[in-house]
Amino acid sequence: MPQNANLSDVITLISDIKHGKVFSSYEIALRTENLLEKVISEEKWANAKELMQQIKGKIQQVTQSLPLETTATNIMRHILKVIREECDQVSKKKGEGQSLHQLVTADQSEERDYSESHGDLKNCLLDHLTEYKVELETSTENIAAQALEHIHTKEIILTVGKSNTVEKFLKHAAGQRSFQVIVVEAGPLYHGHKMAASLALSGIQTTVIPDSGVFAMMSRVNKVIIGTHSVMADGGLRAASGVHGVALAAKHYSVPVMVLAHMYKLTPSYVCSHEKDTFKMCASPANIIPYSTGPLLNKINVYNPIFDYVPPELVTLFISHQGGNAPSYVYRLLSELYHPDDYELY
Amino acid sequence: MEKNKQTNPATKKKVDASGLTKKERRALKVQEKGKQNPENKKDDKKEVPKAQPPKNTEKPVVTTNQLSEKELRKLEWEKKLAEQKAESGDKKEALSKAELRAKRREQQEAQRSAKTNVTTTKQKEQKEEKKPQKKAAEVKKTPVTKKPEKKKHLVRRLEFVNHLYSDATFGNTIVNFKNVHPAFVKLGVQYSSKRILGSNARCRALLTAVKVLIKDIQTPPKQEFCRYFETVLQSCMEHLNRCRCSAVSMNNALTNFKTELRRLSKSEEPDNQKKENLLEVIDTYIDHQMDRAGEAISMKVNEKINNGDVVLTYGCSSLIKKILSDAHSKGKQFQVIVVDGRPFLEGRQMLQRLVQIGINCSYVQMNALCYVMSLVTKVLLGAHALLTNGYVMSRIGTAQVALVAQAYNKPVLVCCETYKFSEQVLTDSFVYNELDDSEKLICVDTLEESSPLALCRNNDNLHILNMLYDVTPPDLITAVVTELAILPCTSAPVVLRLKPQAF
Repeated sequence: MPQNANLSDVITLISDIKHGKVFSSYEIALRTENLLEKVISEEKWANAKELMQQIKGKIQQVTQSLPLETTATNIMRHILKVIREECDQVSKKKGEGQSLHQLVTADQSEERDYSESHGDLKNCLLDHLTEYKVELETSTENIAAQALEHIHTKEIILTVGKSNTVEKFLKHAAGQRSFQVIVVEAGPLYHGHKMAASLALSGIQTTVIPDSGVFAMMSRVNKVIIGTHSVMADGGLRAASGVHGVALAAKHYSVPVMVLAHMYKLTPSYVCSHEKDTFKMCASPANIIPYSTGPLLNKINVYNPIFDYVPPELVTLFISHQGGNAPSYVYRLLSELYHPDDYELY
Repeated sequence: MEKNKQTNPATKKKVDASGLTKKERRALKVQEKGKQNPENKKDDKKEVPKAQPPKNTEKPVVTTNQLSEKELRKLEWEKKLAEQKAESGDKKEALSKAELRAKRREQQEAQRSAKTNVTTTKQKEQKEEKKPQKKAAEVKKTPVTKKPEKKKHLVRRLEFVNHLYSDATFGNTIVNFKNVHPAFVKLGVQYSSKRILGSNARCRALLTAVKVLIKDIQTPPKQEFCRYFETVLQSCMEHLNRCRCSAVSMNNALTNFKTELRRLSKSEEPDNQKKENLLEVIDTYIDHQMDRAGEAISMKVNEKINNGDVVLTYGCSSLIKKILSDAHSKGKQFQVIVVDGRPFLEGRQMLQRLVQIGINCSYVQMNALCYVMSLVTKVLLGAHALLTNGYVMSRIGTAQVALVAQAYNKPVLVCCETYKFSEQVLTDSFVYNELDDSEKLICVDTLEESSPLALCRNNDNLHILNMLYDVTPPDLITAVVTELAILPCTSAPVVLRLKPQAF
């Protein structure tokens, strides 16, 4: 299998993500989509099975190097599902449809043989991909268009740090409703400052508070609207660190927490333990305490986790481009996006 | 006009659309007005020499209409300047002469207008006269009034905490305070610049200043010592309150002191003896309520700390420092995780102290609270005050720590001396709080680039809220450790009842 040539573009993508050239999940999604287009149109594959093998290889490569980078792998998994669906449709046309009788009498261990070659498969897949690309590009606008369904006049909305989706969501609503936004600074990188500056410049009443002020302010907040890095299979979130604290405060005051998430953020993996090592990703401690503190730094441990796990009980609503869903419905969305055989590809 | 156009590029004056400079425009206007109101010029001629007796020496006698109008306008301009400088109060005596002249002129004009109430035509003339003057004055008014607006520091206020804003720079202005002892002035500056932080430290500093006041005070004759002392103390405390709101501990200490003072006023001792007694009162208060209470609390918490414990603490509390150092000196092996919050970053001071003693420490910020909470075995928090309804008032962020600890089922112990118990009742953090400078939130010391907020801090839509305290509900707290006992939070009013009247 000519894997070396195939994996070079994946390796480029991985290194770009690691070096921070591609930062937001939207950009990663677009890059992955381009990569897949290349694979389908340019690479040599005889049938669906070979194509799927290639894509699975790429997923494994990405998972090994960047275990927490789920956007790319999710999109590839989705394409796998699309390929399977296409094959099923074609075979239905040939008359091998799945009637109820066949479903009941079929042998469960029978694996679907995707090794038949179809002439049209390539074109169908490329069509699907272009559709998917359009969906990707318009997903942020679609989510933002739902803003008016969720925000009423004179509301006080709390948000944490900086999220492009949330920013567009709020700006879209601000065009027609007047409300206030409270932005939590979100240490240690203080992206909340950029968010607040951007919102204030577009005419929204913004207040900036430090992380420590969340509980105090929460009693006056009507809604919490946040973005996330990814959505786990149980409906929980893998979000920037600090969001769990905000969600707990919201639960205490019964404030609804709305999460704006694109479909490619839904991950078919679970969080197995709540020990602190679950996400195993920390950034430089220089953002917590500066090196200028001196010899004190030799004697202390400094932690700077990047992610936080938010359990599904603390989330009220997920908003995607298709509409809103409760966290308990995430399992169904997953089954529509990915095939169960593709959940674990380690 | 053509000549002026030629000279304009050379002189680089600001030129209007019609090609005239300001002076030329004004001259044109005056000429027009002169043609419209011939009668007014005669009045002007009469008034101007009356209004300017001192100026006659400087300028020749007024003959042409233009010059008289110019003089009037110049007078108006000087009047406006004088008024403006009187408002800002910067320059002391540069324009006193002009001020006097302006005042004299105003008085004379007022007298004149009172005299000319008889004829209506003269009133109309004066009105017309005032209008061109006003027009000319308004042309100059706009550039003048812009300056004081820019000088004022407009603090944009967030509506629902509107009542909390105060003049933050009061303590830093160098003004001679007549009724305030210099020790209190110094204290005021230390409070408002946040050099002294923490309720125990502030209370101690206050009581030290009161001791200095006692030693220095000299009762004037015919006045009773205690009453005079009370009035002096009152004015000192008013000054301090304007620098920074009093802490609950300070208020309680002062209440106690004042009760003792009143009790002493009934006795017949000489003043020196009274002074001695008062000094002793303060010393015993500090000893009993702070030092010994701290010891007792430390002993109680010590029994609860076991080997292998991981203790989490937030910010910097002198009492918690004492507790942890005592526990360490008794040989207990435990770790401490210090959680820090912006913008004070007091946790770093706590960290320094604990590391010096030799305790194994970790340091995180608020965002990593959920990350470390699973490791923790107990949470120790300090308090600013304990309220009668069982709520704990403490540094902002304490409530968040208590919330996360409760979510992970970790015991939360609040350590608070009984002298900090207050009769106040609060349920949220907005009604009674202190606001600090919002600039402190904009500066971040761990980031290389400056915050984007620095560029739009003057934007009308942007508010930065830097509150100092927050209020933790009792259901998030396991127990309060006082020198009397380890109590549930809701027993605060019982303690207040049991303690002697003015503890």
